[in-house]
Amino acid sequence: MEILSVKDLKMYYKTKLGYVKAVDGISFTLDEGESMGIVGESGCGKTSVSMTILRLLPENAEFMGGKVLFNLDGKTVDLVSLPESEMRRYRWKGISMIFQAAMNSLNPVYKVGDQIIEAMLNHNPKLSMDDAKKKVAELFELVGLDPRRMDQYPHQYSGGMKQRAIIAMALSCDPKIIIADEPTTALDVIVQDKILREMKKIQEKLNMSMIYISHDIAVIAEVSDKIAVMYAGKFVELADSITIFKKPMHPYTYGLMHAFPSVTGERKELTTIPGEPINLLNPPKGCRFAPRCPKADERCFSEDPEYVEVEKGHFVACHHPLEVGEVINFGE
Amino acid sequence: MGNEKTILKIEGLRKLFPAERRLFRKVRKFVHAVDGVSYEIREGESLALVGESGCGKTTTGKILVGLYEPTDGTVVMDGRDVTPFLFESYGKAENYIRRVYIDKFKNGGNGNHIGNFEEYKKIFKDKFNGNEREFVKYILKDRKKEMKNLRKKVQMIFQDPYESLNPRMTIFDTISEPLNIHNIGNLKEREEMVAELLDAVGLTPPETFMFRFPHELSGGQRQRVAIARALILKPRFIVADEPTSMLDVSIRTGIMKLMLKLADEYNMSYLYITHDLAVARYMSNRIAVMYLGKIVEMGDIEEVLKNPAHPYSKALLDAVPVPDPEVKREEPNISGSVAKPINPPARCRFYDRCPYRMERCKKDPHPQLREIAPEHHVACYLFEK
Repeated sequence: MEILSVKDLKMYYKTKLGYVKAVDGISFTLDEGESMGIVGESGCGKTSVSMTILRLLPENAEFMGGKVLFNLDGKTVDLVSLPESEMRRYRWKGISMIFQAAMNSLNPVYKVGDQIIEAMLNHNPKLSMDDAKKKVAELFELVGLDPRRMDQYPHQYSGGMKQRAIIAMALSCDPKIIIADEPTTALDVIVQDKILREMKKIQEKLNMSMIYISHDIAVIAEVSDKIAVMYAGKFVELADSITIFKKPMHPYTYGLMHAFPSVTGERKELTTIPGEPINLLNPPKGCRFAPRCPKADERCFSEDPEYVEVEKGHFVACHHPLEVGEVINFGE
Repeated sequence: MGNEKTILKIEGLRKLFPAERRLFRKVRKFVHAVDGVSYEIREGESLALVGESGCGKTTTGKILVGLYEPTDGTVVMDGRDVTPFLFESYGKAENYIRRVYIDKFKNGGNGNHIGNFEEYKKIFKDKFNGNEREFVKYILKDRKKEMKNLRKKVQMIFQDPYESLNPRMTIFDTISEPLNIHNIGNLKEREEMVAELLDAVGLTPPETFMFRFPHELSGGQRQRVAIARALILKPRFIVADEPTSMLDVSIRTGIMKLMLKLADEYNMSYLYITHDLAVARYMSNRIAVMYLGKIVEMGDIEEVLKNPAHPYSKALLDAVPVPDPEVKREEPNISGSVAKPINPPARCRFYDRCPYRMERCKKDPHPQLREIAPEHHVACYLFEK
């Protein structure tokens, strides 16, 4: 069952010099219990997508169009058009979020348990203190923390434990969807592995939907059913994760896949994508990847490629999509 | 293998940081950041130093470039002991010479790992007739010059190019500053050298970059500037501390390839510090895995990654996510989390988290590195009979 459907979402940041087109026509759907990964480089707008869905935007952000249809208990609402007071009901309870560098988002002067209880009471004022405490203890168990640590302060936690507490907080109002923005980026690999396994287990247990956002394609590959590759404010490709890895059609996806060294298998040459991502401030016409793309021709520089479904569930925005098994050379 | 020239040899390197502050009393608690680390780097080779945060890998690197003073241990470069020149103060350097040389001359200790031990012994006996103060003076006579010289040979590239470049200096000033300090060339020659290097690191055409400021450059370009700065003195050896971990994927490979190319062209060796085993594999031919200040496994990188022997290396390798959705990884066999090594017990550092710990591991001191296969050393009692 479809729980979230984003249609042609556009959000620009207004600056003195013009609009920064951070989210420029994003569309995707998310099923119940499904996990999707959004992968892209810094500045490509992947965090802005999540912030736009949750409407947690700075003052200079402007909605330029699109819909975010959220399906809760058989009712469909468009989060974009909701008044702020209504929106608050869906935030955290409908869709909650694990922020980037979450370890630093705990308040150092409050006990960790109290911070979670505060969030719960805010969204559910009828909850009694005892019930809230019981619930936090359950959540701690769920994320692999000792419930006795509820009464400790953040500085008594290690990095991995803080991350677990943040996950517990995101789960506290029984959300249908969790958006996890670089949930393990600052953590060591062994801790990262444990947290990701924990999150996958919880997701299955509670039948939640997840949106993972990361720059690390390996992390995304491990946790996602489908993967969206984002470049310069747009999705350039979206497909189930095996297709993305085995049959990438967009040259950028291909470049990204081959830019990662691996600890297993043959030691292979890595691809370097020349140049740098374009500035999203008043981007030029045409495909935004064209200046870095070896397959680009005149048409790519003048005409925006359409984001089309080439196979069932496989979307790509490219004038010259790759054939299966095609090798492209980005040059030096 | 084995007969290439060793350019750097580190023996029993230790660095303790005080873990408490006490007024009028001696500090008793220490963080054992680096605790008896030994390795060597051969000419043109790249050794990857990997481990989790807090394992002491960066501290090891910083000692080599003179940013920290070692608490104990010897650094031998090109067969010569350079440790006395890593100390800021004369007194500490003197202490070192007394401890490592004079005491051993008198009591007959062994110093064979130091190339010039016998030479110094002769000088001490014949030239100074056992006069300790004169001997120390003799060794440290060109201390400042030697320190400078050492810094010329060993350079460092830092992790964060947004913080390692001075925002108020132009790219030319930043790259040519070492030339200034070491009094090399006149302005015109310096300009030529900088231009040549900018070209080598891929910032072309050089004239357009020379007089820009760091804020005008992207992260990848900044890191290229940092690399150019490290190369300008033509060092023999570079300590690279996670030079690509702050960069985006599409930029990262460019920097990694550049560093490999330059190592070849300038015949340099790297100590490549990273937490990412995949990057280590791409950048290095040997690897040393560190855990809480100790090297637990070391050897040829393909061999170690294919047949990891130490339980920690195994867990570390199992925890690396694989960029292939069809691969299902095993769960790493490790419990607990990294503790700070404050006055750690003498036993194996990995004891508390080790799934294979034995009775023996509890009592015996931290195991020594032993060769279990050619070019493969492990510090673990599982491999001792």
